Amino acid sequence: MGQGPQELFQLFGIPVTDTVVVSWAIMLVLWIFAIFASKNIEMVPSGAQNAAELFLEAILDLIEGMMPNEGKRFLPLIATIALFIGMANLVGIIPTVPNPTADLNTTLGIALIVFVATHYYGIEKKGVGTYLKEFIEPSIALLPLNIIGELAKPISLAFRLFGNMAGGGVILGIIAMFVPWVIPVPLMAWFDVFVGVIQAFIFTMLAIAYISVARG
Amino acid sequence: MALDANTVISAASALGAGIAMIAGIGSGIGQGYAAGKATEAVARQPEAQGDITRTMLLGQAVAESTGIYALVIALVLVFANPFLG
Repeated sequence: MGQGPQELFQLFGIPVTDTVVVSWAIMLVLWIFAIFASKNIEMVPSGAQNAAELFLEAILDLIEGMMPNEGKRFLPLIATIALFIGMANLVGIIPTVPNPTADLNTTLGIALIVFVATHYYGIEKKGVGTYLKEFIEPSIALLPLNIIGELAKPISLAFRLFGNMAGGGVILGIIAMFVPWVIPVPLMAWFDVFVGVIQAFIFTMLAIAYISVARG
Repeated sequence: MALDANTVISAASALGAGIAMIAGIGSGIGQGYAAGKATEAVARQPEAQGDITRTMLLGQAVAESTGIYALVIALVLVFANPFLG
């Protein structure tokens, strides 16, 4: 309970934790699925292509809802984040497999990608001058507050996902100490499936919201 | 049992973790309020259910932040105590 990521082996002197190994496995599964789904694309989709289109169109609708006519542009970034976090949250339902998102390194890494993307797309849309000018609005006295507000975004994004997944794991661990049989199963479904899907959705929504706010 | 520094720090950390989780009250009230208002909105405009649910979840996620910060502090105090020598 709550041991955190364990070091499994060393690769060129760099320690590799179980989080990283599970992340690689998820990437491999998603990659194979993507190849399988896009092997022979048809006008009337079926099977894997159908599932992929269903997911991508749902994400596209989310982006179009906040940034009209720019959905296709942000789809690769946002859909990748949504797919990876969704899989990483769901994978915990397999016993003994740790959630990669219950490790702060994973969540902070993804949050920093969103942070960099937010500012990149903001500067690209508005230009450097206008973008920097927004930090001293409505007055220059609010400059520190605006900077802290921007820095708080990736931190809250990362800690929200990490706290939810790690907290769920700790609660499951405590319950499993008292009642090792039957009772943890519905709780596992709750924490890994329900909370996991909701948190992946929220992370995706917030990433879209941050980018759309930065682009004005 | 001798009362050395680490015992006192452990006991205080356990208490601190519990006290930190009082912050859960705030996010609980906030999320409940948002859910209640969303229910009212859906009752008034059932056709806008998708948008309302999406907005509610987004607002609840932001309201949850403070509770999650408290949880992280409690987890650090219990599992990775920085004060223990």
